Amino acid sequence: MSAVAIRLADVHKTYAIGENEVHALRGLDLEIGRGEYVSVMGPSGSGKSTLLEILGCLSQPSAGRYWLNGVAVDEVDADGLAKLRGEAIGFVFQAFNLLPRMTLLENVALPLLYRGVPRAARHERALASLARVSLEHRAAHRPGEVSGGERQRAAIARALVNRPSLLLADEPTGNLDSAHGREILGLLEGIHADGATVVIVTHDPIIGARTRRHIGIRDGAIESDERSAA
Amino acid sequence: MSPFESLREALRLLRAQPLRSLLTLFGLVWGTAAVIFLLSWGVGLRTMLDTAFQRAGKNLVQTWAGKISEDFSPAVDRRFLWYTQADVEALRERAPELDRVAGETRRHAPAAFRGRALSLEVRGVEPEGEAIRDIPLASGRLITHEDMAQSRRVLVVGHRARERLLGAEGRVGSWVRIDGASFQVVGVLERVGTQLSRDGAEIDDQLWVPLSVHVALWPNPWLPVEMLSSILARAKDRDRIDAAEGEMRRVLADRLGVAADDEEAVPIFSPVKMLRRIPIDQQNGLNLLIALTTLLVGGIGILAMMLDSVQERRAEIGVRLALGARQRDVLLQFLWEGVAIVVLGGALGVALGAGGALFLGSDAFRSGIPAPLRDLVPVPELSAAVVLLAVVAMAVVALTAGVVPAWHAARIDPAETLRVE
Repeated sequence: MSAVAIRLADVHKTYAIGENEVHALRGLDLEIGRGEYVSVMGPSGSGKSTLLEILGCLSQPSAGRYWLNGVAVDEVDADGLAKLRGEAIGFVFQAFNLLPRMTLLENVALPLLYRGVPRAARHERALASLARVSLEHRAAHRPGEVSGGERQRAAIARALVNRPSLLLADEPTGNLDSAHGREILGLLEGIHADGATVVIVTHDPIIGARTRRHIGIRDGAIESDERSAA
Repeated sequence: MSPFESLREALRLLRAQPLRSLLTLFGLVWGTAAVIFLLSWGVGLRTMLDTAFQRAGKNLVQTWAGKISEDFSPAVDRRFLWYTQADVEALRERAPELDRVAGETRRHAPAAFRGRALSLEVRGVEPEGEAIRDIPLASGRLITHEDMAQSRRVLVVGHRARERLLGAEGRVGSWVRIDGASFQVVGVLERVGTQLSRDGAEIDDQLWVPLSVHVALWPNPWLPVEMLSSILARAKDRDRIDAAEGEMRRVLADRLGVAADDEEAVPIFSPVKMLRRIPIDQQNGLNLLIALTTLLVGGIGILAMMLDSVQERRAEIGVRLALGARQRDVLLQFLWEGVAIVVLGGALGVALGAGGALFLGSDAFRSGIPAPLRDLVPVPELSAAVVLLAVVAMAVVALTAGVVPAWHAARIDPAETLRVE
């Protein structure tokens, strides 16, 4: 496998909102190596969420190309993209996005379900993933029955269950108090330490300061790209 | 994701909102039940009418002598006509469309048994006539050719006539006085039930004596001949009733010396033709239409619920897509939800419709209907074909209602639903 996890070449993204065209990304070039720990920062409307959607294969660039682990994403069909999302990428959202009618265990097992893993193995791996975020005792609870921090930990367990090479987090601590936020950051650092590429989108400089590489975005283009010593 | 997994997922989601699922199911359940119930009711109604119209004789064609109509003769010359046994013989010889032909006479007469006296309709019948009526015997025997030839004063009693006249103590062998003459009861008929077509009293209220005895005891005071009240016959083929009628009229008109198309001179009545005039097929068609419309409304309910559910679950669908679900998985999930609803609603609807149909046919229900009406309340006839039709119609409606939302769900853009602004 390539040592480069993510490569973006002259990526543009435009949305049509009513009569207006919004240019969310304007010719973005970016390379992120395997195992990097990166934060993407920028003000609201800078295009950082759009960047994350493209990195997560949730939407396609309007122009330009994107290679994930050496694979040109624009050459992959819809089912292939679903497979990439399910197996190569793990998502952590600001709003957790757990399915409210399912138990935490069932939520964590969802990516395995779409991957066609048999029921017993699903159960076992989901439980192991919950154990990694110290939530195995909450496996049978629904999201509404646990705290915000626990919900986000469950969401991380879900993102990890397929052992993705890329973890994308969108304001993972945005809905949490600082104690729980630190706990989540600790988990993300652990994942990075285990070898995964971690990209966090945030506008919180405290989080940004904890990563090894800091990318600043403004008006759909990279404004700064700095590295700090480990 | 396997279909089995999808189905389990769908069932879990149905259970998650039981009230909404139930309300949605109601239209479907009711529609399916309506199709099954109304169709079996319609078939039962046809049978009921057919039976009730033909109780006095299967494929019966019957004629009473009339008078020459004005179209064929000046008013001053309009004769009254009558039939005799010779006309019956002529029909037997010259009308091949008729299976059996018999003459019948009738009069009301006082009948007495052990101090009880009633005025009953007394009919002179011959064995061919008994065969046309084809009423089973409760006990004893029918009137025979020997009874006719020897002018025996024997009597066959209708079911209700027996109850009212003979009471508990009368039976085969008892003696009854009719208009002063003594008759011995030789047979009692089974209950016939409500007749929707009849000539005079219902058979249950009749007393039957040999035709030869009837005409000898009670001759027509104004005519020198042994006049019949009517001639009855059985058409060989139900579908050829018109041919049978035409043949009967031709032969009799020829014998009476009237025009062969004078329907007033030779009036012929047949219950089968009367039955044909009842728009039962149209009625059943209308019922089916109403039932299918109900089903359609149920389908629209499902469509609304599923579309609503897709809208409500946009975020969920986005999450599923982000976690590796293919469009196909999302499509199938919603389709299976539709199927689960169909299976559940169909099963409940079939149970309700079939249950209702079976209940209306059950003894528990029928014993509660007043006796005179019982014969006129149809017993719904449930058949596999009716159930199949309902199930197929329901499946088509409900699946159509499930495909559209499923297609909507599968086309959701995950990026859009996950964006937090």
